[in-house]
Order: sequence, then C-alpha cells, then structure tokens
Amino acid sequence: MTLSEAIETLKTTLDPRKFLQSLERAADFYSESDSEQDSDSGDDSGNGPSDSSSGSQSGDSFKGSGAAVKTAALSNGTTPLIKLTDVWKIYQMGEVEFAALKGIDLEIYEGEFVVVLGPSGSGKSTLMNLLGCLDLPSRGAVFLQDRDISELDESELARIRGQMIGFIFQSFNLIPTLGTLENVTLPLEFQEMDPGKARRRAEYLLDIVGLSDKKKNLPSQLSGGQRQRVAIARSLAVNPPVILADEPTGNLDSKTGNYILEFLEKLHEQEGKTIIIVTHDLELVKYATRVVYIRDGEIEKIEHAEKHAEKHAEKHAEKNEMEE
Amino acid sequence: MRNATYVKMALNMLLHSKLRSWLTIIGIVIGVGAVVGIISLGDAMEAQVQSRLADMDLTKITITPGYSGAQSRMPGPGGPGGGGSSSTDAELTDDDVDALQGIDGVLYIDTQISGSEEVDYAGETATLSITGVDPQVWQYMNTLEVGSGRLLEPADKNVAVIGSSIATEIFDQEIGVNQVITVNGKSVRVVGVLEEEGGSEDRKIYMPLDAAVNLIEDAEEDVFDSIVVKVESEDLVDPTIEEIEERLMVSRQIHQEKDRDFSLSSSLSMAESVTEMTSSMTLFLGAIAAVSLLVGAVGIANTMFTSVLEKTKEIGTMKAIGAKNRDILMIFVVNSAMVGFVGGVFGVMLGGFVSTLFPYLGVTLMRGGSGAGTGLSPDLMAFGLGLAVLIGVLSGAVPAYRASKLKPVDALRYE
Ligand SMILES: Nc1ncnc2c1ncn2[C@@H]1O[C@H](COP(=O)(O)OP(=O)(O)OP(=O)(O)O)[C@@H](O)[C@H]1O
Ligand SMILES: [Mg+2]
Repeated sequence: MTLSEAIETLKTTLDPRKFLQSLERAADFYSESDSEQDSDSGDDSGNGPSDSSSGSQSGDSFKGSGAAVKTAALSNGTTPLIKLTDVWKIYQMGEVEFAALKGIDLEIYEGEFVVVLGPSGSGKSTLMNLLGCLDLPSRGAVFLQDRDISELDESELARIRGQMIGFIFQSFNLIPTLGTLENVTLPLEFQEMDPGKARRRAEYLLDIVGLSDKKKNLPSQLSGGQRQRVAIARSLAVNPPVILADEPTGNLDSKTGNYILEFLEKLHEQEGKTIIIVTHDLELVKYATRVVYIRDGEIEKIEHAEKHAEKHAEKHAEKNEMEE
Repeated sequence: MRNATYVKMALNMLLHSKLRSWLTIIGIVIGVGAVVGIISLGDAMEAQVQSRLADMDLTKITITPGYSGAQSRMPGPGGPGGGGSSSTDAELTDDDVDALQGIDGVLYIDTQISGSEEVDYAGETATLSITGVDPQVWQYMNTLEVGSGRLLEPADKNVAVIGSSIATEIFDQEIGVNQVITVNGKSVRVVGVLEEEGGSEDRKIYMPLDAAVNLIEDAEEDVFDSIVVKVESEDLVDPTIEEIEERLMVSRQIHQEKDRDFSLSSSLSMAESVTEMTSSMTLFLGAIAAVSLLVGAVGIANTMFTSVLEKTKEIGTMKAIGAKNRDILMIFVVNSAMVGFVGGVFGVMLGGFVSTLFPYLGVTLMRGGSGAGTGLSPDLMAFGLGLAVLIGVLSGAVPAYRASKLKPVDALRYE
C-alpha cells in the first residue's frame, strides 16, 4: 500500500455528514455559542459536507463501510494504525546519555481514544512526538500503516503530518501574526487546497467551535480557551483521521477544559476519529477507551476502559441501525 | 504550497516585523541609494565628457613657454589655454615657428598671444580675455561655430570675433555683428559672434595677431604665448609631439632635460586623461558604495537570523501542521527578498534625490556642465531594485535554509 493510498483509505472511512452533525452538537454544547450560531451552522449543513469531503470521495457510498472498518479494527485489532516496537529515545547531552523512552511497545488502533498518563518528565511528550512523526526513534521502529517512518523522507513525513494528524498543543501554538481564520486555513494551504474552498471550510470549522465572530482576531486578542478552540478547528482543517493532543487542557480552567474534552469525545464517538491525549491529569481517564500508564520512559501498564469501550460500541451499533 | 501562499505568508511576516527589522533596511537603502546615485553621476560625467570630446578637435598640439615637469597647462577645447603669460623668462618666438616648418603631417601652425584687457561697450566696462590668433590659419584650425557674422579672415585688421556670453550677457546692451567695442581705448569692430560653447570659451575675444599685439599690454611683435600645431589625424599626435620636442630642443639649444623651457600638450592626451579620471573616479566611488551595500546585506542577514530564531516555535508548528522544508525555505527567502525590495524602493528614491543634487554640489568634472544628473534612467531604477532584491535573497538564503532544516521537535520545544 502506498502512502497516498493509506492516507486515502483512512480519510474515506470518515463520513462527512456525521462529522457535521456531531460538530454542530458540540457547538450547541458550549455555553458561549448562542442560538444564532446554531442557525448559522444549520445553513451550512447543506454546503458543509461537500466542502469537507474534498479529501474523500462521496460521503454516502462510504457511510456504512466506514463504520464497519472502524468496528472491525476495534474488535479484531489486526491492523494497528500506529505501532511502536521496542522504541528507545536517547538524548545525548555532552558526555551523558539520557534515555527518555526505554523500549516502548505500543499499538494504537483506528477509532481508539487513548490517554497516555504519566508524571512530569516521564517521557509523554517524547512519545507523542514519535506518534506524530515529529521525531524519529533512536532505536526500535515506529510503523504507520505498516510503514516504518524512519524510512520516509522529510517531505513524506510532512505530508503524513499534514494530512493524517491533527495536532493540539498545550500552549495552543497558533501563528501569532495570522488572524483566527488564517490560522485555521493554514494547514489547508500547505495541502494546496483551492483558496475559496479552504476559506469556506475554515469558516465552517470556526463556526463549529463557536468563534465565527472572531475571524479577524489575532491569537493575542483571544482568551486561552478561545485559542484552544481555534487550535482544534485548525487540527480538524484537513479532516485528519488522527488527533494528537499534548496536555490540551493544561493551560485552561476546568470548565473550558471540559468543553475541549467533550468536543474531542464527540469527534471520537461520532466521527470515529482516533484520539490520543497525553496528560498527567487522572481526570481524563474517564474519556479513554484505553489508558497507557508511563513512568520513567517505560510503560507501566495498559488498561482497557471496558465499560467505556462497550458503551462506545453500542452507540455505534445504534447509530448504524438508525441510518439503515 | 503555492507561490501565492509564500508571498502571503512572507508579506504577513514583513508587515508584522518589528521596528528594529525596519531599521536594518536602512543599510540597503543607503547602499542602493549610493550605488544608484554614483552610477548616475558616472553616467552623467561620462556623457558630458563624451559630448565634449565629440566637439573637441583632438588633432591639436599646443606649445607653451616654461616647463614644470609634466604637461601642466590644459588648454580648453577648441582653442589653447589663455590665462596670461608664463612666469618664466622663456619665450616662444618666430624662430621656434621656423623650426617647426616641414614636419610631416602638420597642417597648420597658429601663433597666439593672449591677455586680459578692459573692454568698453555702451558705457560699460569689463575685463575680458583677448586672444590674438593668426588670421591666415585660425579659421581652419578650430571647431568653433559661428552664430552670426563670420570667423577671422587673412585680411582682417582691427576686428574681433566674440564669444556668445560677451555678446549677450556681460553688457546690458547686446553686441551684434558690425557693432564697435573699445579695447584699451582702441575701436574694434565685431565681425562674428560665436555659438554658445559653455564655459570660459564664451567669454573670449579673438582678434588677428597683429592687431592684438597693439592692444595687449606687454605684448611684443614675434613673441607668442603659445604655438598651436594642427596635425592631419589623431594618430599623428604622439609622433608629432616627439618630433616637435626634438626640433625645439635643438633650435633652442637645450641639451639637458632640466634646462627645458617649453611645454607641449595635446587635446588628445588631455581628453584621454579626463576620460580615464572620470571612469576611475566612478569606479572608486562605486567601490565605496558597494561596501555600504555589503554592510546592508549583512544587516539583512542579521535580521533574518534573529527573525528565524524568534519564529522557531512557529516554524515547528508549521511543520507539525504539514509544512515541508521547502515551504519554510520559500517563506523566509521571499520575506527576505521583500525586505530587499522595500529597501530598494527607498534606495532608488534616495539615489534619485541625490542625483538631482549633483549640479548644486558642483560635482561636475568639466567646466560649465549643464543638465548633469537630472534624475535616474528607468534602467538604472530597475537595476537598483533588482540589486536590492538580489541582495535580499542572498543574505536571506542562509538563515532561511537554517530555518527549513530545523527538526520539528526541536523547533517546537524551543523557548
Ligand atoms: N531535547 C532533549 N534533550 C535532553 N533531554 C530531553 C530532551 N527532551 C526531553 N528530555 C528529557 O526527557 C525526559 C522526558 O521529557 P518529556 O518532555 O517527554 O516529559 P513529559 O512526560 O512530557 O513531561 P511533562 O508532563 O512535564 O510535559 C525528561 O527528563 C527530559 O528532561
Ligand atoms: Mg510534556
């Protein structure tokens, strides 16, 4: 399977219409989004899908099969999306070597909501950089769709990051000189999407996160929570199958943090997006389908959040029935 | 990423750049301004020299009494230098003219005297330079153009040909052909007025030698202030100079170089040295300007390095959301080119402004230069802009390359 094929397959598992519905609900959820915005997003529902489906083919034909692939992946566990085998990350500091990761073995499947939990300095961010193709392991291998990322060149890695992974950072990492809308458009520009389309898509996503009245604001003219919502909109711009978040709520109060997490949960449940959150906050475990405990660069234990997973599976089953 | 996006991102960076980034542009502004201004000055001087040379008769050799090593006296174009007699005791006489007879390639030999005398006209008085020339040959030897009337003819006695500014500017009342002026109390009829030449040439009065001897104080019969020899072609100038030198040494019975009491100068060698001087001056000033450009380039490079450092985290973020190395490289290079462009625009404006100042600064090499340095040519403007952009790209290349090669993790972790 070529890289493009892999990306394409992943993208087609997403049903754009569902994506829209879930996000609208998320917009409802947040207190700041008023009824006016609801009607706005309602208007968009006609155009939204066609915009967002630019990566995939037509939404309808993949509706059923998309869900099927997801559940298959969940239950069988045969095709890990990301696979780490005996991964070491060793930092050389002068004479001293420091192993931030010591032989990590981890498989992440499509449709999972994985929380990586560990104390500060345990190597969570280091792990997340490897999962996000931002870094290469010192030893061992990281496979993405059965392809060793160490064998990919710079521009291929950039393409994977740009098309398959949506990053959410603890410190938001918006481009300070670009307005909100431009920040959300940026990933689409890296993918050379048609400017008009990219703009409409970004406007739509800003609407979803309830910030359609802040399109022109620079990040410095937004509150922390608003910035993180822009960052989420940006991470969804290319409609990536995987969302990687490093302490996404670390800089937010608990209410705003909850909104962000509920939003991610909806993305997971209704979009089937694979979500990986790295945190030291035990609270987040309740959203997870699987929790990876990490300490001193080693995996301490992996816990399946059974109930949650079941609930999740049920929901999908119901949904599929309803659609049929 | 599309080119339009590079431009957009680079422009965004430019518009949000800090004051100190703008300050480093000044280096480029001054550099480009200096280079453009100096090239414009050089062009103006060059053009002026060329137009002068075109007017000039380059086949004349002037012999003057006295010797001070090199050829010290530079005669003006169209005629030998005026300016009083030599301070030495040496004289040029008929004997010297005789000694020069029969040299191959020599067409004419003119003997001249000159002096400054009082000229009266219509109740006003002015001190003007009077040149006595041999009316037999003078009209064939010069390139002066007659505005009205005629040049001197062999039969002329107490008549004069006057320069254009004597005719129109010096006296309130204009002097026309056939008017009579008074020189040292003697009446002289004007038979011709010359075209405007520019410079001191326009303030000269030419008269037949015999009449001038009577008018000019200290002047003696058969003693000349200069002898002008016209040869057939420019190629003959140098050999003829040698020949004249030899003959005069013999006729004047000079055996050693140190006893030499006459000088030779040719309009050709003067023209050559002026051209040489002009171009070497332009080159010299250009080199100085180039140094200021180099300083400007280093300034831009410095700003770009700082900017890359400041934007390290943004670079990391852009890479995380899908930017390729090439994208980052292009954004920074285009930004740097834009910085150069802005500097170039102001630099060209500065250069244009400076070049309008040349006439006031008196930087024109040749006498009476008019119309020098009136603005920049479009070519020069384009050159200035192109140069600035090129410098922007070159000085931004290394920082941009460094930015593009940053590892995403390291860039993201940068504080
Ligand atoms: N570039 C580096 N050079 C040297 N050591 C590093 C580097 N990056 C990380 N480390 C070390 O690796 C260890 C793990 O770092 P990491 O950032 O992954 O921690 P973390 O689990 O994300 O912590 P936190 O919860 O505080 O963010 C730390 O001890 C850190 O000092
Ligand atoms: Mg961390």
